[in-house]
Amino acid sequence: MNGHGRMKLPAPNALVGGTLIAILLATAGTGALWTPYDPLKLSFREKLVAPGALHWLGTDEFGRDVLSRLMAGAATSVWISILTVTLAVVMGTTIGLFSGYMRGWTDRIIMAFNDALLAFPGILLALGLLAVLGANKYGIIVALGIAYTPSVARVVRGTVLSLREREFIAASRVMGNGEGFTMLRHILPNCIAPLTVLATSMFGYVLLAESALSFLGLGVPPPAPTWGNMLAGSRPYIDQAVWLGIFPGLCISLTLLGINLLGDALRDKLDPRMRGAR
Amino acid sequence: MNRLLVSAFALALSAGALHAQTLTAVLNADIRSTNPGVNRDGNTDAVVQHMVEGLVGYAEDGSVGPLLAKSVDVSPDGKTYTFHLRKGVKFHNGATMSSADVLWSWNRYMDPKTDWRCRSDLDGRNGLKVVSATAPDTGTFVMEINEPNGLFLDTLARNDCGGTAVLHKDSVKADGSWDKPIGTGPFKLGEWKRGQSIELLAFDQYVSPKTDKRDGLIGLKRPLVKEARFMVIPDAATVKAGLLSGSLDLALVPESDVPDLKNAPNLALAIAPNPVRHGLIIQTRDPVMKNQALRQAIAAAIDFPELVANVSNGLGKPNNSPIYMTSKYFGEAEKQGFKYDPAAAKALLQKAGYKGEKITILANKRSSVPSFNTAVIAQAMMQAVGINAEIEVLEWATQLDRYNKGNYQMQAFSYSARFDPALGFEQISGPKDKQPRKIWEDPEALALIQKAMVVTDTAERQKIFDELHKRFIEQVPTIFTHNDLDIIAHNKRVTGVKPWASQLQLWEVSVAK
Amino acid sequence: MFRFALTRIAMALPTLLIVAVSVFVLIRLIPGDPAQLMLGDLATPASLADLRTRLGLDQSLPVQFGIWFGNVLHGDFGQSISSQQAVLPLILQRFLVSAQIVLVAVVLASLFAVPAGVIAAWRQDSALDIGLVGAATLLLSIPTFWLGLLLLLFFGLKLGWLPVVGYVSIADDWKAGLLYLVMPIMTLFLHEMGVVLRMARASTLEVLRLDYITHARAKGLSESAVLWRHAFKNAFGPTWTLIGLVLGNLLGGIAVVETVFTIPGLGRLLVDAIFARDYPVIQGCMLFVAFTYVLVNLVIDLCYPIFDPRVAAE
Repeated sequence: MNGHGRMKLPAPNALVGGTLIAILLATAGTGALWTPYDPLKLSFREKLVAPGALHWLGTDEFGRDVLSRLMAGAATSVWISILTVTLAVVMGTTIGLFSGYMRGWTDRIIMAFNDALLAFPGILLALGLLAVLGANKYGIIVALGIAYTPSVARVVRGTVLSLREREFIAASRVMGNGEGFTMLRHILPNCIAPLTVLATSMFGYVLLAESALSFLGLGVPPPAPTWGNMLAGSRPYIDQAVWLGIFPGLCISLTLLGINLLGDALRDKLDPRMRGAR
Repeated sequence: MNRLLVSAFALALSAGALHAQTLTAVLNADIRSTNPGVNRDGNTDAVVQHMVEGLVGYAEDGSVGPLLAKSVDVSPDGKTYTFHLRKGVKFHNGATMSSADVLWSWNRYMDPKTDWRCRSDLDGRNGLKVVSATAPDTGTFVMEINEPNGLFLDTLARNDCGGTAVLHKDSVKADGSWDKPIGTGPFKLGEWKRGQSIELLAFDQYVSPKTDKRDGLIGLKRPLVKEARFMVIPDAATVKAGLLSGSLDLALVPESDVPDLKNAPNLALAIAPNPVRHGLIIQTRDPVMKNQALRQAIAAAIDFPELVANVSNGLGKPNNSPIYMTSKYFGEAEKQGFKYDPAAAKALLQKAGYKGEKITILANKRSSVPSFNTAVIAQAMMQAVGINAEIEVLEWATQLDRYNKGNYQMQAFSYSARFDPALGFEQISGPKDKQPRKIWEDPEALALIQKAMVVTDTAERQKIFDELHKRFIEQVPTIFTHNDLDIIAHNKRVTGVKPWASQLQLWEVSVAK
Repeated sequence: MFRFALTRIAMALPTLLIVAVSVFVLIRLIPGDPAQLMLGDLATPASLADLRTRLGLDQSLPVQFGIWFGNVLHGDFGQSISSQQAVLPLILQRFLVSAQIVLVAVVLASLFAVPAGVIAAWRQDSALDIGLVGAATLLLSIPTFWLGLLLLLFFGLKLGWLPVVGYVSIADDWKAGLLYLVMPIMTLFLHEMGVVLRMARASTLEVLRLDYITHARAKGLSESAVLWRHAFKNAFGPTWTLIGLVLGNLLGGIAVVETVFTIPGLGRLLVDAIFARDYPVIQGCMLFVAFTYVLVNLVIDLCYPIFDPRVAAE
């Protein structure tokens, strides 16, 4: 639709978004292996030091280096987001495929549960699940994964329903292929484009949800840093040590910006009809 | 509430202007009710004690003295208490208090329908029983108990019992349900806007129990402002901003805010320690933690001055004793705490046969306690001597559940205030089979605590407490780090602020025009 | 139309029932209970048992649920455990506070963002379009609580223009009340502007591609006539739906903004109730939020034909 055979420069959103995400991934990768200081090392002589030559982004209330924590936090946050999205996509796709293919009462019951989950503020769901699962990294992954499953299930189910009656599906059936085979061979691949778009934006939501939960005091608050708990922890020092809140906030915002821009670009590419849609 | 007042108040808030004769204080959560000792928490107690008073109350040093009573006589057998009431004490509705009101209040408390929190401590279910209560004449009230008890008056004075406040009978509606407190306190209840603010109005006819000096609840207590208001503000950062901008007059603030508030030109700080004890409690039945040498190693691994300085912003002092520092029983023996010695800690670990088993410290992030910070620093210090310590941060309700079930290895925990050391020891000690939340089970220690509950002689009690303290430090059932500090930040135009018992007292506080 | 509404409500009932049951079970699975929290570290087994009996927590789960749900069917949502206020009036009172903020923010955001989105779509790929979408994406990417903190820091503390503490109801004093609402509304407004602009642009783009627009252009109508008479009108339908979704979501998610600005709204009520394990309040809030979500979407669907005559309510 938007190509006339000419070579075009990548769209500005892809360029900016791609760059931001590349920086994020590089930071996370580095942060997982190396940081300027030990992000957990307490240093009582250097509490709340303003950004300077020794500590580029300053230190926090325990004298820990903020830059090191941001780098390590990037690794944790990215890891949490990736696992959460993967979990939600796998569960949501399974449920969506099953529900869309079975139709009838099975579909109706599954979707009633699905809608109930969608009408549920994530706070309570996450708190409840976290309390049952234990407040750690894996607890929040499972909790948020479950919270985001319904939206995936909806998208997949929608795609399945629209594909079911198309000729090539019927043809596959006529050729004697089993239901399961038809699903995996023909329907699943057609879900990939919308799923990619959804997964990209979900990555951003998860990052945001983790920090919002930390902010409300319901999130994962381990001594190991995530951007969310760094930002939440900066709250009492808002006017005393502005850098504690500014930098993690900036990191979250820039990452979300990158993800949103990249998501737009992906959508343009994978689903031209939906160009620019949310 | 009239619109004029609200807008004037709002204006004062928004412009940071002065509004003479109005004092604006802060609560971190709304009160549960105005019904003393029934539906309550710490904030409720703090507000309610501005409006009501009991026969006896706490003095500044934690001892119990007469409040609505002028004096209390105890019979030689220790079972009959005669309260001589002060004359001319007025209720908020103008009625004069007499022994009939005391009797009416007492009967209401002992009625199961009232749901008074402390009924089970006085009706025999927990041992102590009030056998009879009578009012032989208008100025005298007599109570008889089943057996001599060193803590009877203390129980009546307890904050969580609402100080067993004497109320006028119009405090309840015709059907017996609670209406509002008509008491004898220095302030009357104004408007309570749930979730937002509680307004208190000066009671002009108030007479202080003592007229020479302030002394906790039983000293000078004049209302010096026409109107005082508790604003409900849960968020510490917002409180700080409000203090800095001048829209709030006084608030209890966390240690972490002190460096900032200290330098503010419009603010002053008032600081004093209180009986709340912070520390790390230990599950002595845990397979790993039951090893006494390991517990001693942990205690030796912690650099208390460093830890306390950090969690209290340099304001607190270490205290490893279950007895709080301002108690009259805190003497030389109690100053002997744990010794920071990493080499000894390592040796003790060897002796304990410790092989790197994981030890999890539970903590929460409530802003009112140093739980999380204590856990972080203790973890670092334990790791430094080779202990594999981890932190699990829980929401408070979850942590409390684990405490009540005894399901943990270590917790960064705080014990609420108990003025009498015998009660302070009782809080942590007892058989776990019956009460899983209890920590210290040493039978000899339990016997000593029981003894301290009955003995009334100060010197004899001191000896018991010294012995208990020594055993406690030896066995390390819990590692107390320090006592809590009351830090009140207040505007410089406010005078007479005095931190005491972790609660804001607005009597004797005045505002300059 | 009436039958349509009834059918939709009937369809929502199972969803609400599932919400009711799962909230009830979930909240009781979480460790800790209101009796423990009320007694704190001073609880004895006897006092805990007493309090639990008084609160009715000693009965079996199905019995507790039966009692609660039966009362709800009669319109009685019970009493808050911690404040002893009736739950339904409490929720309604807090809801009004949240709703005024959310509504004003969303209406304002729509007023600016919908036309901006249409213009961006109309001038697709121009510098204006890229600029608007970029700005919208940026706004969308800033977490609301961080934005709120920055506003608080700047307008409240540095400039001292706006009050940082407390809340005054507009009903008591509208002038003072407004002052307290400026920052929360601004926070949500900025964020929602990003969301709505992108939606409006996307739905306009869809419409612009449709045949009848090409047709209108071919008829020789001026560009602005095409845009306003056809594109704008038709693009508003889908945007309207999405605004509805945003409203529903915001009511559930406003807790963060209310925490930053200490506003006694519904979100804060729910979060506080969770911390206090105030079961009746949590259950009431959740049911109310789910119901509002369903209702908002229903109203939006019913209004849809007004904006898009092609769609008849079936």
